[in-house]
Amino acid sequence: HGDHSRRRVAPIKRSTSGLSLLRCVRNYSTTLPRFEVQVEFLVVPWFLESCFDERRTKMVLKSEDGVVPDDLTPEEQKELDNIRRRKQELLDDIQRLKDEIAEVTCEIENLGSTEERKNMQRNKQVAMGRKKFNMDPKKGIHFLIENDLLKNTSEDIARFLYKGEGLNKTAIGDYLGERDDLNIQVLHAFVELHEFTDLNLVQALRQFLWSFRLPGEAQKIDRMMEAFAQRYLQCNPGVFQSTDTCYILSFAIIMLNTSLHNPNVKDKPAVERFISMNRGINGGGDLPEELLRNLYDSIKNEPFKNPEDDGNDLTHTFFNPDREGWLLKLGECEGMSLCSSRWSPGGDSE
Amino acid sequence: MGILFSRLFYRLYICKRDIRILMVGLDAAGKTTILYKLKLGEVVSTLPTIGFNVERVDYKNISFTVWDVGGQTKIRSLWKYYFQFTQALIFVVDSSDHERIETAAEELHMMLAEDEMRDAILLVLANKQDLPKAMSTQELTDRLGLHKMRGRQWFVQGACAVQGSGLYEGLDWLSDQLSKR
Repeated sequence: HGDHSRRRVAPIKRSTSGLSLLRCVRNYSTTLPRFEVQVEFLVVPWFLESCFDERRTKMVLKSEDGVVPDDLTPEEQKELDNIRRRKQELLDDIQRLKDEIAEVTCEIENLGSTEERKNMQRNKQVAMGRKKFNMDPKKGIHFLIENDLLKNTSEDIARFLYKGEGLNKTAIGDYLGERDDLNIQVLHAFVELHEFTDLNLVQALRQFLWSFRLPGEAQKIDRMMEAFAQRYLQCNPGVFQSTDTCYILSFAIIMLNTSLHNPNVKDKPAVERFISMNRGINGGGDLPEELLRNLYDSIKNEPFKNPEDDGNDLTHTFFNPDREGWLLKLGECEGMSLCSSRWSPGGDSE
Repeated sequence: MGILFSRLFYRLYICKRDIRILMVGLDAAGKTTILYKLKLGEVVSTLPTIGFNVERVDYKNISFTVWDVGGQTKIRSLWKYYFQFTQALIFVVDSSDHERIETAAEELHMMLAEDEMRDAILLVLANKQDLPKAMSTQELTDRLGLHKMRGRQWFVQGACAVQGSGLYEGLDWLSDQLSKR
């Protein structure tokens, strides 16, 4: 009754005899004379005795093994269940992490010797070569050849450019447009990789001009159109009288695309002007007017597209750094709560 | 006051003359650098059109449209359609390229020999003057054989396209000559 209505008494040991037990109860009631004492006995078999050792706290600890005190309120019971579930989850997590660590350790140990490491190194260098190429095509090619990642033949270089993976199309155009002997050989090998069979001239040009960004310098365009014309006739023999006819006409088409679609050119030529411009280019004779009209219409209706780039993607820059390592933060950054760590990932500090 | 404004307006917008200019020169003479140096400071918002470098430069009431032209003689017939209406030719020469100066001279005279170029005035931009072995404008005048030409207005302007020097002086000469016409 009152505040002490359900005061708990320490468990009584097995060794305690029935008589001393009664004495104990009596003593207890005499020390608190003003209260009516009601004693409840919990009889515990000896083999469970260890669970009820002296203190209730200890008993709770023991209950982890499955024994639960029976006087828990439903909320306490629920909480206990929650705690148990959480504990199991944590144990599972720990096991997972342990497994993962073991796996990574195993990987690290294997790295030193295997082919995989070589491959990784190689891929990394190729990625670096691509990045260099996009910044300076000649240096990029030089780097790849020097590191045995690319054979020093015009065919191999051309194939690399034709595949174009991760390469900036403007950089490809710059490389193909250079006046050096090697570059011109690469240009020809590059054109050879294109298939123009059964395409009309404008279709073939569209395909060709999608594989790199055509530079704006007249001499470069001249060389490229000449190489293109040779290949076009190779794929479509007999369509034009000579390579020269095809080359001059291709050049005229580029001029037409510039005149019709470059906003800096004010007077847009009519189809008649395009026809008279091409007079006599067919070995002294004229090309069929219908052909020229069709070419004109095709370019007028659909300008040459700027080729989409594979190499402008910033991820190439971010994921293939020249240097890797950690930056040491030297000064304190005041007022920047985000800077909690003294190290941040980045390049070597020089 | 109204008259003053309409005059100003006229001078600023209506009076602007369109001049088509061809720019020629050997590979690596610096034509592209010159074109883009003249456009410096202007915001280019759209992707450039596939094709030849063409830039429009507005300077002193004249709107210059400059075409980068060139290539082998086989395609010269195509350029003739553009030569027809050409009032001026800019010839860019690499002043430090001693080996190819004769080739450059041949190219220049071949161009000027075209009937369509009869009335065009000639500005020679002696580019790369900053390089140590660059020829002087006098030496270039001799080696390009400019004195031998009869009945043509011409001018040699030293320039360094990378730094942008000499370019507007060249345009000054062009606009002076063209406004006299």
